[in-house]
Amino acid sequence: MVAMSSGKREGRMSLLKKIALTASAAIVTAGLTSAAWAESAAERAVKEAQKYKGQTITIVWEAGLQSLDPLNFSGPLWEKLTGIKVKVVEVQTAEMFTKIMQEYRAGTGAYDALNVIPAWMPDLANAGALEVLDPYVQKYGYGDELQKIAATYRDNQMKVDGKIFGFPDDGDVFVMYYRKDVFGDAKVQEAFKAKTGRDLAVPKNWKDFGETGAALTEILKPQNMYGAAFFRQPPYTMFMFQERFRNEGGKFFDAESMKATINSDVGVKVLTEMRNENKFMPPGVEQWGFVENLAAFMAGQTAMTISWPPYGRWAAGYGTDEKALSWVPKSTVAGKVGYAMPPGGHPELAAGFALSVASTSKNKDAAYLFIQWLNSEDISLQRVKLPTALRDPFRDSHFTDPGYLALWPDAKDYLAALQAGSKSGLLDLSLLQTDKYEEVLRQAIGKLWAGEDPKKILDAAAGEWDAITKKIGVDKQKAVYANWASKSGAYPQ
Amino acid sequence: MAQSFASVSSAVRRSPQMPDHNFRYWIIAPSVFLLLLIGLFPLIYAFVVSFQQITMTDYDTSFAGLVNYQALFSDQRLWESILHTIVITVIALPVELILGLALAYLFLEKMYGKQIFISLIVLPTVISPIVSGATWRLLFDQRYGPINQVLSWIAGREVVMLWTIEPILVYPAILICEIWQWTPFMFLILLAALSSVDKSLTEAAELDGAGFWRIFLKIELPAIWPVMAIAILIRGVDLFRIFDMVWALTGGGPGTYTETISIYTYVQGFRQFETSYTAAIAFLIVALMSFVVTWAIRRMGLAK
Repeated sequence: MVAMSSGKREGRMSLLKKIALTASAAIVTAGLTSAAWAESAAERAVKEAQKYKGQTITIVWEAGLQSLDPLNFSGPLWEKLTGIKVKVVEVQTAEMFTKIMQEYRAGTGAYDALNVIPAWMPDLANAGALEVLDPYVQKYGYGDELQKIAATYRDNQMKVDGKIFGFPDDGDVFVMYYRKDVFGDAKVQEAFKAKTGRDLAVPKNWKDFGETGAALTEILKPQNMYGAAFFRQPPYTMFMFQERFRNEGGKFFDAESMKATINSDVGVKVLTEMRNENKFMPPGVEQWGFVENLAAFMAGQTAMTISWPPYGRWAAGYGTDEKALSWVPKSTVAGKVGYAMPPGGHPELAAGFALSVASTSKNKDAAYLFIQWLNSEDISLQRVKLPTALRDPFRDSHFTDPGYLALWPDAKDYLAALQAGSKSGLLDLSLLQTDKYEEVLRQAIGKLWAGEDPKKILDAAAGEWDAITKKIGVDKQKAVYANWASKSGAYPQ
Repeated sequence: MAQSFASVSSAVRRSPQMPDHNFRYWIIAPSVFLLLLIGLFPLIYAFVVSFQQITMTDYDTSFAGLVNYQALFSDQRLWESILHTIVITVIALPVELILGLALAYLFLEKMYGKQIFISLIVLPTVISPIVSGATWRLLFDQRYGPINQVLSWIAGREVVMLWTIEPILVYPAILICEIWQWTPFMFLILLAALSSVDKSLTEAAELDGAGFWRIFLKIELPAIWPVMAIAILIRGVDLFRIFDMVWALTGGGPGTYTETISIYTYVQGFRQFETSYTAAIAFLIVALMSFVVTWAIRRMGLAK
């Protein structure tokens, strides 16, 4: 064995020292980084936000019950933890898009954080009204917790053209609520079988729904009860049309030509059936909104309904003792409510909310840290469990939280239904200038209740959609539609 | 003496110490400037915008020619909204006039508690139109409203009338609300006008054997016509601009069935953000209204 020269030996030792030093530095750095990110996103947001103590941030929130969260819970808590005041600007849902755009155009910086319906995101993002959140997510280490949002909401309600513009913050989904006691009543079952020749079951398709609803209305007449009722006011029914149309196989556009195809046979069938169903629903159902439908179900007047998740909580009696919910009728059906997917099996993820930062905000970091904190795993779990909450579970952890599961006896079935809905749910149509297309649908529903012919209504609606598309630019809209249609929640798989 | 006075006056006028004749114009200039700024500048700006193509996503301020004005003529929904507005105006205005006149006649004579009754009658006019519309919407509600309930009691069975949805009922609902709220306005103005008619003329006519209609047509109507014409003009313009009450009551629905021109303009401007097109609509309305008001003023003899 040839001995190494002392010079070579020294050189090798120097190299080894360098390697050892570099490795040690890397290990220490990794350790420090881990320590930094070991704290939760909520804790991190609080810590970082304390440097903005004394500031006030303004957040736009849906008026009414939704605002009770930031007014009574999250706003005061955030101020206590960080010293940042939260000013809540309550706006009716129908006015929110307008207000956000008007404020953006005015550029006054009046709004810092925003609640945005995800279907509006492309328009707001393209107009420049929303701040790109990727740099903030990176800076404040929120990437990991963002991934824990339930896939449907995370993958479809957060980004536009690959950039993050909002954090999904509300797991809106339509659920079918039905009276377990009615469906399980032997006499009702017998009468149903005699009438229809089949067993009484929660309808899985709209044909069955029509038959079941009509039969139950006749059978339950002595009890002053109806087979079903829905909210039929146009803004709500517009979502139901979107859901039902796609469940029945309809497509909104021809992907090649971008011609609207809502006036297909499927569309006409859906509108016709919707109007026919009103015959076995309570009189005046065409005027029913969220509250009227809720009141009827809670009073035990309807055997089936479809609505957003709060119905399920309130029907179970959860939270209705709260002063803020004194307007909610006391439930007479607690313990009698079952939860299922709406007919067709693919519920609409109707509306929903995402938290964003206004691009004209003068307090962007403070605003961002507030929405990170709100949306974080820890705080969002508390928020979706608030008795007065209109925020619905949207993280995987929400659906399996032991505390939530224990809130009322059927909570586990309720959460299972919401989770199933989030997985099989259908996204709201989201294009450039979505509101214009939705406005046409709202008017179409209004005309339907006024008695116009469904084919005529939809032909006119399709014509208006085509005019809108032409004005926006067919190729431009085609690209956006293609992107939306490629998502797993765009059409039933 | 006169000559010296004239020379003194002239000297005074020429004196640099005396105020300028144009001083009165300078004094009012700031107010006029402010009024022009507030009133005229937005008008001019809107006119300029109507020749651009500013939309929700495009802030194109380059001159676009008459494209927005050309689009007006092919916009069926626009013309339908003008028609809806005209329908409301031509029905509500005469009804308010006749009812207001009838009420004014009723209160011409002395009666016990007259002031209290007048105060009560006038109450609807002081309510905000949007509150009025929202309240009537509740009154007309099928499930919770008292109107259908009372009708059901009278009919002896459940009456289902969807006042804000059925086409045959939705205009009566709007007209009921509108007439209820604004007849008192007509009543007040016509009561004041009738009260100022010279009683000696009407008494003399009665003594001569003239009947009610003859007295009204030949004596009272000519006497109150200028005031009545103003009231008709004011209410007519108000009816053409109607927005808040209809918005609260029907939202312009069902569909666009009760969409007035103001509602359509609002939807285009603040929902659809078709800013330039909305400016063109606004100028179309300004042009139409200017023509109608000018014609009305001439026809009614108000310009004499």
